[in-house]
Amino acid sequence: MTERPNRLGRFAVRGVFWRQYLDWAVVNLPFYFYPVLLTFFTFFFFFFAAPARRAIVANLAVVLPGSSRAMNYLRAFRTLYNFAWTIAEAAIHRLIKEEFSYEIIGAEWLEELGAAPGAIVLTAHMGSYDLGAALFAEKFRREIRIVRAPEPDRQSAQHLSASLERAGEGAVKIDYNTAGALLSFDLLKALRAGEIVSIQGDRAEGEVGQVTTRLFGHEVQLPNGPFVLALVAQVPIYPLFIARYGCRRYAIIVHEPIRLESTGDREKDIASGVGQWCAILEEIVASRWDQWFAFIPIFAR
Amino acid sequence: MNNGEFPRFYFALPRLLALFRGGSSERAENNGGEAWIASTAVYLVSYLYFAQFIPATFGLWLKILSLVLLAFLVWLFWLLALYVNSLVIKLLQACGLFRKIPVRRAQSILVAGAASAMAFQLLQAGGWQGEIAAIWLVAVAMNLAAAVILALRNGDRAHS
Repeated sequence: MTERPNRLGRFAVRGVFWRQYLDWAVVNLPFYFYPVLLTFFTFFFFFFAAPARRAIVANLAVVLPGSSRAMNYLRAFRTLYNFAWTIAEAAIHRLIKEEFSYEIIGAEWLEELGAAPGAIVLTAHMGSYDLGAALFAEKFRREIRIVRAPEPDRQSAQHLSASLERAGEGAVKIDYNTAGALLSFDLLKALRAGEIVSIQGDRAEGEVGQVTTRLFGHEVQLPNGPFVLALVAQVPIYPLFIARYGCRRYAIIVHEPIRLESTGDREKDIASGVGQWCAILEEIVASRWDQWFAFIPIFAR
Repeated sequence: MNNGEFPRFYFALPRLLALFRGGSSERAENNGGEAWIASTAVYLVSYLYFAQFIPATFGLWLKILSLVLLAFLVWLFWLLALYVNSLVIKLLQACGLFRKIPVRRAQSILVAGAASAMAFQLLQAGGWQGEIAAIWLVAVAMNLAAAVILALRNGDRAHS
């Protein structure tokens, strides 16, 4: 039996219509139309994407302790506004190949990553990670595999995969963490073959392996996949984030790699890696909370 | 001309001023400040234009509510207008016009034309809204003049 497409579903907040509209706007509208247009779209999604809005407010209450709920609603607006600009600029890069300027923080680690024979890039739902992957592939002329959580809407997922792969001009491959063990073996094989695998490590969604840890003093579930892979393949983990600094200006922030050594106690080794990752994640999220696009509640109540 | 083509700018005026100050007109048009000024100006002119149609008989609170609602209606108007414009451009391209320029640049001509028509009507209506409309019209005229001067000076073309 064939799946019947939900005609109204494409207009849902995470439906494909909005992504297609964005693509249309980038090709058809002069750049000076974006500020007002994106501001109003932010208002629109601020009211209609209620679960995302509530999740941002809940996450901010932990990230910025002592902050008032009213201020966090304004901060949620700012986060959604940044998200609108980030996806708009990623589409600009992908569709009309406009130039972007970027500075690198931690250039030595980025150079090391570019030359690494197999490595894991551990990132967060922050800034423009698809633009970052495309820039990385372009700069180092290396393939990169991005592991993502699946989009709830099938058409959106297809659109997003095609977009990311097009942005990377064939050097960016997308995998969805739904294939269970098969994907793990595939990624392990890729790492052993010297490839670079990028994984978002700031939230665990769905059926992925999870590890319980503490972030900002609160209990969270993070994916343990990157740490298990790094331990088994004996490759370094490079924490890397892309932050937006202004109109078509970005910073690529790379931290010193996390190296997991096998001591024979697997749980302890993974916990050590997770602890280091959490310290870096806390630092970056605290300073760039307005670009942390974690639209689901991260912290346990 | 560059490679036999006209230099093309959305905002020629700041580039001409930069040239007069001894700078370069090469600066690419991805300036956030310019985008905000132009975006706000187009929106403000169209908002003031449609605000004229709010009946004067409305009470204060109804008028305030209408003005707030109008802000979103003007946004919807532009979403629709931009889509219709894109269809007009496709039609014109099918007729052999605007084929050498990207759609977003042709769209810019239509947007500036529509906003200028609204500003012209506001100008005739007078009041402080007319002053704002006059500023828009003068800015558009100066920008066009600057584009002509840059074209005649064989200016460099901003990337698009």
